[in-house]
Amino acid sequence: MSDLQDAVVTTSPLRPRAVIAKTSLDGHWRGVAVVGRALRDAGFEVVLLGMAGPDAIVASVIDEDADLLGLNVGGRVEVAERTIDAVRNHRPDIPVIAGGTIAPWAKRRLEELGVSVFPPGSSLDDIATTARHLCGLS
Amino acid sequence: VKPRETTRSGIPLRSIYGPEDVPAEWGEAAASRPGSRPFLRGAYPEMYRAKPWRIFQLSGYGSPEEMAARLRFLLEQGETGFIMKRDRVTNDHLYDVDHPEVVARAEDVGQTGAVLLSARDVQIAIDGVPIERSYAHPGAGVVQAAPFCLASFWIAAKRRGLDFTQLAGTGQSDFFLTYVGCPTKEQIPPQAGLRLNGDLIEFCTERMPHWVPVSIAGYNGADSGLNAVEELGALMANAIEYLDEVQRRKRIDLSVVARGIGGINLRTSMAFFEDIAKLRAARKMWHDLLTRRYGITDERALRLRIHVVTAGSAMTYQQPINNIVRGTLMGLVAALGGTQSLGISGYDEAISIPSDHAHQMSIRTQQILQHECEGLMEVADPLGGSYFVESLTSSLEDRAWEFVDEIQAEGGFVTAIDKGWLHQRAAANTDREFAEIESGEREIVGVNCFTDDSYPYEVDGFAGGGDAWEQGMARLQKLRAERHERACGDALVALERTLRGDGNMVPSMLDALDADCSIGEVGTVLREVYGDWRAPVTI
Repeated sequence: MSDLQDAVVTTSPLRPRAVIAKTSLDGHWRGVAVVGRALRDAGFEVVLLGMAGPDAIVASVIDEDADLLGLNVGGRVEVAERTIDAVRNHRPDIPVIAGGTIAPWAKRRLEELGVSVFPPGSSLDDIATTARHLCGLS
Repeated sequence: VKPRETTRSGIPLRSIYGPEDVPAEWGEAAASRPGSRPFLRGAYPEMYRAKPWRIFQLSGYGSPEEMAARLRFLLEQGETGFIMKRDRVTNDHLYDVDHPEVVARAEDVGQTGAVLLSARDVQIAIDGVPIERSYAHPGAGVVQAAPFCLASFWIAAKRRGLDFTQLAGTGQSDFFLTYVGCPTKEQIPPQAGLRLNGDLIEFCTERMPHWVPVSIAGYNGADSGLNAVEELGALMANAIEYLDEVQRRKRIDLSVVARGIGGINLRTSMAFFEDIAKLRAARKMWHDLLTRRYGITDERALRLRIHVVTAGSAMTYQQPINNIVRGTLMGLVAALGGTQSLGISGYDEAISIPSDHAHQMSIRTQQILQHECEGLMEVADPLGGSYFVESLTSSLEDRAWEFVDEIQAEGGFVTAIDKGWLHQRAAANTDREFAEIESGEREIVGVNCFTDDSYPYEVDGFAGGGDAWEQGMARLQKLRAERHERACGDALVALERTLRGDGNMVPSMLDALDADCSIGEVGTVLREVYGDWRAPVTI
């Protein structure tokens, strides 16, 4: 179990690990909790980082040796772009998925960075399947 | 179309309802008149013939100047009250714009509300806005920020030459928003929040005859996942917590307080009939709670007034123009339930904060309901006496009281929040909801049925206020350079002393705002006195 603000994690060498973070200081947690549970049910070990700035997200991805980064974008897409840049400076190949209130034009911008974007209404099965595929699992 | 077996909160649905479905003991309430006890059928006898519901939309982004422009636009469009939504990053966290957590995501600043860092900023934000004759919500949604938000508005009004007794409006300081639906990264603990709210209630009761000090917003519980039964029950449990706190202090008359906090907020959603019944049940439950538990007899206290916001979560990202229809239906639910005030979510809700056009459409939708929907404004409680609606209202009430008992058994509303009990209830419902959408059991047009990959009406969403952080930095530097530093420091010391004692903190907060203290400085004092609370959200 992990809570919205503090990451708690139990380690297992067999399961891929996903770090999920909110880039904005917006505490709506329904979305990240639902996606977090869906990824856990799909075999991921999930670190729910909560609201975190780019530096904290980079630190968590490195510390947890994450296989996947999930970003909830509740604010401007520029913050997500800066975060992805910073993470890829350390982990150039890490797959990134994103969700939240992401306008169509912002969705296209993130997709140009190779991010898989799941706006509201996306299927949880699709999210989980994509996440597994991105981590090289069937 | 597959018929549903139950309402969203689990009340069985049958194909036909008759007199046998309305409990005998419900007869008296069902036969009551609107405006009469127990107010099941409406708060006022003539309802919308005497006074249409208030058109009250959430708004705010960017700089204080941008907020003033949007407020003037909305009032010109026919809005009859105004809400000053403030920026989540700075305001809700009580951070100045140069706080490291704010700098880390500077682009987000001003996206979720206007950046108002001091009483001076509020003066700019209400420039040209007729606050002396409009009903105001100065953006005091989050508990730790509410005293700052209200005091900054009241000081700005005073600087315009208005007396506190002339001001009409509402605080909010809502526990559902703050501790359940949208917890901030740092937040004072719920017990401290209860003390601040107690102080606001006392102050407004004594000094501000036209001000609702705090407003319980079931919306924020409902849009986090609580169903209609849980929303009603939790709202009543929250009221018990406030009234018990005031009663414990023994400083002011409970019935005057009950009247002050008897303006609440509920959510309407696509749970059409259940939510109509919910508004009706809420009024009766409020009446019964106050008379039975507290022995209150003053009718003005027993008459619950309701503000409705339509479910943001019902608005879809896919085929967003469809949301105008959803907004219309959910607004109609509010009117049929007898609301006093209404905000309809923007059709671009799932995409961004509302654009000018989405805001205008929300207002036009309300105007069409008020001006064109024949019979709606003329007849109070038009569904009263329907076997189905009376049966549903009665069932909801019974189940909601059971939920109140469950919360009390957990130690009361604040304890139930503190240990994450309410969050778990909301999360369990959310999981079920998502599973039903995934399986197709719950259909949402454009999302899991009638989808259209070539939908031609793309909505871009709103992207304004891009330089709100830079502008905020400039105003903050100017404030620090121009104000009387000693007076500011003294006011903050006095505020801390009051917070550590038992006296009412509102006068000290007003002094701090009048000395042009900034939001971050007030926040530092609150954090030092009360520390931080961690949201008990788990997966």
